[in-house]
Amino acid sequence: MQIFNEIAVLLGKEIKLEWRNKYAISGILLYVGATIFIVYMAFIEMEPVTWIILFWIIMLFASINAVVKSFVQESRSRQLYYYTLVNPTALLTAKIVYNTLLLLLIGFLTWGGLSLFVGNAVVNTRPFLLAIGLGSLGFAVTFTFISAISAKTDNSASLMAILSFPLVIPILVTLVNLSKNAIEPLASEGVQSDINLLIAIDLIVVGMSLLLYPYLWRD
Amino acid sequence: MGNISWWKWLGVALIIYTFTAGMLVPLQHGIVEVTPRSARTGEQVTVELTGYNCNYDQQSESLKAWLKLDEEKTLGASSIEVLGPRRLAIGFDLPAYLPVDRRVQDFSLILESKEDGTAILPTALLVTQDSIDPEKGIALWVNTAVNDLTVSTGMTFPFRPIIYETIRNTYFHVALWLSMMLLFIAAVVYSVRYVRNPMPKWDSKARAFTSVGLFFGILGLVTGMVWAKYTWGQAWSNDVKQITTAIALLVYLAYFILRSAFEDPEQRGRISAVYNIFAFALLIPLIYVIPRMVDSLHPGAGGNPAFGSEDLDSTMRMIFYPAIIGWALIGAWIANLQYRMDAVREEWIERLD
Amino acid sequence: MKRIILLSLLLGSMFSQPLLAQSATPDFMRSMGKMYVVVAVIVVVFIGIVIFLTYLDNRLTRLENQIHDNDQKQ
Repeated sequence: MQIFNEIAVLLGKEIKLEWRNKYAISGILLYVGATIFIVYMAFIEMEPVTWIILFWIIMLFASINAVVKSFVQESRSRQLYYYTLVNPTALLTAKIVYNTLLLLLIGFLTWGGLSLFVGNAVVNTRPFLLAIGLGSLGFAVTFTFISAISAKTDNSASLMAILSFPLVIPILVTLVNLSKNAIEPLASEGVQSDINLLIAIDLIVVGMSLLLYPYLWRD
Repeated sequence: MGNISWWKWLGVALIIYTFTAGMLVPLQHGIVEVTPRSARTGEQVTVELTGYNCNYDQQSESLKAWLKLDEEKTLGASSIEVLGPRRLAIGFDLPAYLPVDRRVQDFSLILESKEDGTAILPTALLVTQDSIDPEKGIALWVNTAVNDLTVSTGMTFPFRPIIYETIRNTYFHVALWLSMMLLFIAAVVYSVRYVRNPMPKWDSKARAFTSVGLFFGILGLVTGMVWAKYTWGQAWSNDVKQITTAIALLVYLAYFILRSAFEDPEQRGRISAVYNIFAFALLIPLIYVIPRMVDSLHPGAGGNPAFGSEDLDSTMRMIFYPAIIGWALIGAWIANLQYRMDAVREEWIERLD
Repeated sequence: MKRIILLSLLLGSMFSQPLLAQSATPDFMRSMGKMYVVVAVIVVVFIGIVIFLTYLDNRLTRLENQIHDNDQKQ
């Protein structure tokens, strides 16, 4: 039970920290808004498929920007402080939960923003909601874990991109495939296998990162 | 001689076997092309055929040919004339109506030869009906049963249109690619051992196996591009397996960039081992699941296992599996040299201190 | 490094030749049931192995030099 308390405390700390220096989250929101506006200026009208792909590209870059700070931002002394206090699994779980919530927020904001400026291409809401949910989890876990790896190096920002982009491509491809079901009134037959694949990938990344993080953080 | 481990000799022997058997075993008798490819009902069509691995001159009496509609309906040839050792002219009397309710029907061509074995060309002839009447078609149909097919004895590789002799690339391109996976698995095993017990030799072995795996991956990609150039028409056709392989190579290139970012060997070993395990776990869906869900030019797309019985017959298996092991052992040998070099450096540095 | 450049030049010339020859006699690579494609693939594998061996050789030479130089200093 102690681990749940730790997770709750750490999660509260993340949210409080975010709330105190609001520039991080407002930066992300500004980024999403600006990108959507550029997309609107460039396209004005777009095919539903383009809409889906653009949505996920905005989402990808917004989430890497949002998640990159979760480990990179923290100073070594603060990490050492955590090390003496809490369980590594609890620390990582708290960060994953927090980042997933953040990415869900970014996802819905992007959806809303795109609908406002460009129009809503989503006809079939259920697969799209599933895609946002499973995609946020997958992105959050992968980026958080890679951020923990690259935080150990000196030039962590560029390493973060090099390490994480090839790794999230399977998730991204499956998300785009799943979301393509959302622009038609009836989902195709392949929708269930896409969902299963996404759930499987999410389980793999969650399991692997929880398993490996304890080895990563001791220094 | 005495210092070389048995498994290295085994690898060499398997590769020599792969090269000899893979290059010497001939292809089956096959049909390269037929002209014309289309005909109309009611006409007497003469099809000119070019064969492969055959000698029609010697056996003009024993040749037989059929046009096959489905499992029950086959139409025998009315005349067969030998034009040359590899060329035939086959006449068919097409009925006025076909027993199908379709305007255009495709027929496979079966050519039977006592000496060379049976050759089949799928969708060899497209027959267009002037008017559709399946009942008349059934009444008019003169069925000639396919019989006395010669099953070729001896070792041969299957003949496939367009692929032809390049089917032998299975032992180089495909086998290299699968042995790359074996090498990556070995690297992950050593990474796990390093994470559990951080001894420098585990890290050095993991690094060596990953670098050889990456090298085999690049070779697989390049050989695939050469093969694709002459069978699919272009070297890079954005096929899903080409893309996923390129992504996998990027992941492993990133592994080496990550390694170069650390000064401390203990930290380098630990973090790159963690990344290696994490990356490998994510590569499995990328390499094994996604290509099966998307259409691909590679065999095995759309839910099939990568090699069905149709693509890999028993003769090919006899060479394909040893080839995978052979290439993997050669790769392990190269990796072995690398980590022994690392060990020498370690020992030397230790002696200096 | 020089050796690698030389090797890659060699590799480049070996590849451009069949391609050039292809435009002159349209079906060199496709003749004999595309047998030369298999030959090209084997050549690629062999060149790849040679390049990798060269890289290993260079690393070994560096290590030998390090050890040798150090012995002389002592």
